[in-house]
Amino acid sequence: MNTGHKHTGDGDDHKAAPMVEEITDYEVLEIAVRELAIEHGLFTAEDHRRFTEWAESVGPAAGSRLVAKAWTDPAFKARVLEDGTTACKEIGIDWAEPTGVGTPSDYTNFLVLEDTPTLHHVIVCTLCSCYPRPLLGMSPEWYRSTNYRRRLVRWPREVLAEFGLILPPEVEIRIEDSNQKCRFMVLPVRPEGTDDWTEEQLAAIVTRDCMIGVALPRPGRTADVHPIRKAGRPVERSPQEGSAAE
Amino acid sequence: MSVTNDVDLSRIALLEAVHHQGKEWDVIAPRYGVSNPDPPWKTSLIGMCECLAVGGSLPALDRRRAEDELGDTVYIEVPAPERELLALVHVMLNRGLVVERDLASRMRTVRLRLQAL
Amino acid sequence: MKKNETPDVPARFKVGDRVQVRDMPNMFYTRTQNYVRGVTGTIASCTYKDLIPEDEAFDYDGRPEQYYIVRFRQKDLWEEYPFDNDTLQTEFPDHWLEPVGN
Repeated sequence: MNTGHKHTGDGDDHKAAPMVEEITDYEVLEIAVRELAIEHGLFTAEDHRRFTEWAESVGPAAGSRLVAKAWTDPAFKARVLEDGTTACKEIGIDWAEPTGVGTPSDYTNFLVLEDTPTLHHVIVCTLCSCYPRPLLGMSPEWYRSTNYRRRLVRWPREVLAEFGLILPPEVEIRIEDSNQKCRFMVLPVRPEGTDDWTEEQLAAIVTRDCMIGVALPRPGRTADVHPIRKAGRPVERSPQEGSAAE
Repeated sequence: MSVTNDVDLSRIALLEAVHHQGKEWDVIAPRYGVSNPDPPWKTSLIGMCECLAVGGSLPALDRRRAEDELGDTVYIEVPAPERELLALVHVMLNRGLVVERDLASRMRTVRLRLQAL
Repeated sequence: MKKNETPDVPARFKVGDRVQVRDMPNMFYTRTQNYVRGVTGTIASCTYKDLIPEDEAFDYDGRPEQYYIVRFRQKDLWEEYPFDNDTLQTEFPDHWLEPVGN
């Protein structure tokens, strides 16, 4: 959401962060349809504000914290596996937000799937891309794609290989298709070479892809990197010339 | 409100015009040196989807099914999240939750308001 | 989960039971995937009790049902799946499952 801050003009010699200086039809469309929806009584401005603020508040850092804490605190890990929803409160995440009964997409039944050296979980929602947003934030576009959702259940090893993850045949790959109200996250195996690490250091290598199950955490790997495919069939587009005064 | 669960894949002139302006975030953000991966309206769009689901106007599964169909056809060339916005408005128009003429008119008003800032 | 004054439907299954996914007709969107219809798996866990959508079952009487995670062998789901150990699990309400030689 934050495209930058306007220069305050207070005399400090700091540069303003860049902003997109034009009004796009997409921006205009989103506002227009929202205003009409509110006027038609489909929802209230107050409810919209509450859900928008919630959407801005969630991100994968919470999931990383949960995994790091589970790795370093066996009693916490046991609580996580026993009742994931309740254990989340210990790391500051309340699945009941923002309505008191959760959101209409995330509900309040959070289960953590524990990997072992012979069992690797990977998560998908073939129906519609359900995702544990209170722990991981908004789902990545590839997770929402029909490509991932159709192919992972049929050819999991091929799809994981495209993410750079190849597992020996002896390892059981267990796909979790989250088609109902449970929401899932993977608790990966703690990697070698991290014995004396702090929770912060551990959290830094637990990326979103590790918690979905398409990557394994390892020392030095602090970002998810994969080809960005933004459209089903992207066309050659060059930035439009011309003014913003449409 | 329509109770059909079928998506009408006919192109909608107003939405085609939005797409043809060509100002998707992944094109314009680099032009201004903005590194944020998401446009500023993305979380507002998410909020709107949640509200429509809670109120029963557009359940999440219905919306996602329509988004899948439209994303594989009419809006296949559009990157996310613009594709999600167009698909949402498309299905809202299909179901009579908003009317194209009203939406076009409101867009003109909103644009004038934003340009005056 | 929603509170309901009528008693829940008694859960028919427990962890470890073998179950087969029914292939019921559905009028609108269903959450029971095509690829599991008629396939036999094992109850992996009991999750929660909840209502099911009205159009999921013609003989539904509106009472909350037990939901389960059922685990399947990938070899049972797909023709010529080459890896013996791989599994898939997904969630069903009681109504969608039939007992299999327990």
